[in-house]
Amino acid sequence: MRDQLERLRQQALRELETASDTEQVEAVRRKYLGRKGQLTSLLRCLPQLPPGERAAAGAALNELKVWLEGQLAVCLDQLRAREREGRLRAEAVDVTLPGRRPSVGREHVLGRMMEEIREIFRSMGFEVVEGPELETEEFNFRRLNIPEHHPARDAQDSFYLDEEHLLRTQCTAVDVRVMPRRQPPLRVVTVGRCYRRDVVDSTHMPVFHQVDGFMVGEGIRFSDLKGVLAEFARQLWGPETRVRFQPSYFPFTEPSAEIAVSFRGRWLEIGGCGMFHPRVLEMAGIDPEKYTAFAFGCGVDRPAMVRYGIDDIRLFWENDVRFLGQF
Amino acid sequence: MRVLWSWLMELVEVDTPQDPAAWEERFPMLGLGVEAVERVGDDWVFDLETTTNRPDWLGMLGIAREVAAVCRGRVRPPVVTLEESDPLAARVAWAEVAEPGLCHRYVGRVVVDVRVGPSPRWMVQRLERCGIRSINNVVDVTNYVMLETGQPLHAFDLDRLVGGGVVVRAAREGEVLVTLDGQERRLHPGALVIADRERVVALGGVMGGLDTEIRPETRRVLLESAWFHPVAVRRTARALGMRTEGSTRHERGGDPERARYAAARAAQLVQELAGGRVLRGELDVYPDPQPPRRVSLRPSRLNRVLGVEVPEDEAVDILERLEFRVERGPDRWTVTVPSHRRDVEREEDLIEEVARISGYDRIPETLPVETVGVGAMEPELEAERRVRDALLRAGLWEVLTLSLLHPSEVERVGIPLDHPLGQAIPLRNPLTQEHTHLRTTLLPSLVGVLRTNRVRGNSDVHVFEIGRVFRGSSAGREERKAVGIARMGRALEGSWNLPEEAVQVDFHHLKGTVEAVLGALHVEAWEVRPDSLPWLHPYRSASLWLGGRSVGWLGELHPEVCERYDLRGRAYVAELDLEPLLQAARTTPQYRPLPYTPAVERDVAVVVDESVLAGEVVRVVRQAAGDLLEACEPFDVYTGPPVPPGRKSVAVRMRFRDPTRTLQSEEVEALVARARRALQEALGAGFR
Repeated sequence: MRDQLERLRQQALRELETASDTEQVEAVRRKYLGRKGQLTSLLRCLPQLPPGERAAAGAALNELKVWLEGQLAVCLDQLRAREREGRLRAEAVDVTLPGRRPSVGREHVLGRMMEEIREIFRSMGFEVVEGPELETEEFNFRRLNIPEHHPARDAQDSFYLDEEHLLRTQCTAVDVRVMPRRQPPLRVVTVGRCYRRDVVDSTHMPVFHQVDGFMVGEGIRFSDLKGVLAEFARQLWGPETRVRFQPSYFPFTEPSAEIAVSFRGRWLEIGGCGMFHPRVLEMAGIDPEKYTAFAFGCGVDRPAMVRYGIDDIRLFWENDVRFLGQF
Repeated sequence: MRVLWSWLMELVEVDTPQDPAAWEERFPMLGLGVEAVERVGDDWVFDLETTTNRPDWLGMLGIAREVAAVCRGRVRPPVVTLEESDPLAARVAWAEVAEPGLCHRYVGRVVVDVRVGPSPRWMVQRLERCGIRSINNVVDVTNYVMLETGQPLHAFDLDRLVGGGVVVRAAREGEVLVTLDGQERRLHPGALVIADRERVVALGGVMGGLDTEIRPETRRVLLESAWFHPVAVRRTARALGMRTEGSTRHERGGDPERARYAAARAAQLVQELAGGRVLRGELDVYPDPQPPRRVSLRPSRLNRVLGVEVPEDEAVDILERLEFRVERGPDRWTVTVPSHRRDVEREEDLIEEVARISGYDRIPETLPVETVGVGAMEPELEAERRVRDALLRAGLWEVLTLSLLHPSEVERVGIPLDHPLGQAIPLRNPLTQEHTHLRTTLLPSLVGVLRTNRVRGNSDVHVFEIGRVFRGSSAGREERKAVGIARMGRALEGSWNLPEEAVQVDFHHLKGTVEAVLGALHVEAWEVRPDSLPWLHPYRSASLWLGGRSVGWLGELHPEVCERYDLRGRAYVAELDLEPLLQAARTTPQYRPLPYTPAVERDVAVVVDESVLAGEVVRVVRQAAGDLLEACEPFDVYTGPPVPPGRKSVAVRMRFRDPTRTLQSEEVEALVARARRALQEALGAGFR
């Protein structure tokens, strides 16, 4: 009996070692442990043994059964793992193939800069407004203290539609549109398109963008203008930025200044500013004795060129996706 | 204005020697921008940018005054000592002002027996360094004195003036003048001219005439030093498209008091350089001399405007250094303005002078004390930003295109010129051939963007622009905002192994983009209807309807247009009016409770004529199925066997739900049956 069991153990072990899939393992199980299995048959014969041998034989048979069940489980686990592995291997992807990329939206570099500018001024309490691009002489010039035949008009060669209508040459026109409609105190900013009869080259386009804003109140001073614009410049150009104010002339401000910011070791002129000329306030129905006001106007396109290292302004307008995609 | 350093230094008296290199920084602090600095031999030339309010800065003496003021020195104008000879100038020549509105002062000097010839080297060099070509000693003197004083002068050959004198008047109809540059100029009536007894001899303040110019044989010279009305000079020069050293200076409005000095200074130099005798006295037509202007200044206002404490004594000192005279009062000072500072008209101008000389650097940076609250944004702008965000999130790239174009671009893109979009507003004074009109639509420039990219090998382009468009009609001009979209190529990058037709952008991708925008704005009750717009593929063209009106269009760009632009493929374009969308937008959508009851879905394959639109199937289903129908969307469209020819199968999925209870399958079947009947009746539908 003992030898018979040992033979069975050796035989089952060999068969399990050669089984190559779960089906064959199952066949081994059936062969020994199935209803007609060899081990099952031996177990069934136990009662026929003499009582003295019965206990020892039962123990040996049981031991073999437990051992075999353990071997079967291990073998099955191994084979199942191998089969799963094979299935997954067949599903391997080439991770180096390109990803499927739905187009992700992108702001135009100037659009982004204008949004930034609006946000900075909004955070300083300015109301963001808009005005028409199709303007009248009245708002574009006369209300800004620039009568006809003023030499200052030379710098703003305009596109006219007729005697009175033109494309706005600066966004300051929006200021004088807004002022008569509101009561001070006021903090207003606008960002938009302007037009001048400039011949196209690497730094000029007939269409460009400006940010223009003003502040009216009972105690608005030139020092406030400096403070607000310096804060704006630091927000846009970085905390280390220095701002330079130099005397200049605009018919609608007095005193007037030109603004430059320090950027990468150079001075970059970004615009003009000043205290609104009392006559401009008067024309807007604001008492210049009671209120003072500052105003400023800055370019967007050329500062953006410097900020992003763009050497030709025409690139903004060509919209080559290889350009747009860089920002 | 080109300023020669050595010349400038001759005109100021300062205690400490000045370093020209340092002035590159100092000029701008005064408001004189430095465009360029050149070393010329042992001298320096500063090219200064002068503002139009400062006519005095167009002369060395004006700049010298500023230098003297900041260096606490003195100006040293050349001393004029004339040796005059008989007879009186007024005996041999005359000057009249027929139109006092054109000329405020006219000073003439007569020099006789001159010998016209080349100028000495020093003068030629100075003129050249300042950018003026030497002509002859008499003409050079007029230019030299102009550079020195800022006062433009002109020299006439007195013997060629018919009648021996000049009159300032307005040009008459048909008058013509050949100017010094040899051009024949037709004068517009009213132009500012100088004439003799018979004809026009010069454009006042702009340019002299060829016939009366100084020639080698000229013996008697009439020197003109006048104050012409700035607007008259500007108008005259502009009408003829001219701009000269003289007109630039006159346009800014010089100093009438300076005219006399400049005439004497020129006479003196002519005598020195060309010999001859200066006749006694001058011709001086100056009927209405103005007393010096007086402006009051409240010292308290200085601080109020500037935000810096400038001590009163310092403010007075600054003004006096600039040659203003200050009479102090208790709260109010009376300041007398020197004649060369005609730009100073009111208190603020004086405040600027104090700020300028004491230095803008001294003014601190402060933040306004008054609180206005949090910054807002105009509601329309806020909504526009949401449209932009929606388009960006839909994967489109923002572009900016010019708002100016030529009507041929409109035509080229397939818009007939008699279509409302073909009616572009023309510019009266375009600068180039390409930019003559205002755009009526974003389409031409967006198709231009597709083309630019296609030509450069960028085949996948998905862009949008939010911008203004302009329309003109007899009713007036209109400016509105539009959203333009243009797409071509693949909608997905990295599309290896995917069927090309699933990846290429098509009409429904475009429609999806439009839907994304509408969704972002929470606009409801819109409809896309077939249309046939001339610039679109006739069977892939649609309009967007909202509240009973068309607010935009979308479709495939007409294949012929694609070909014309060499797009080598299909392109999809759309344009929406922004304003109606913003009006229909809901900024604060309201919460609708989530349903907790299950939905029941049923699919039906509806067989209809090929001409029936899926939208009609959905509409009939909606109407028939009633309120319990939560959604109905087509999910498959099929033609081919077993569907008979001329018919198609539109499979729609209906979703039913009652938020208050679970639906019984019998009631759903009843609703589906009702929908089927309605489809049969309305559209002659069969079912698969």
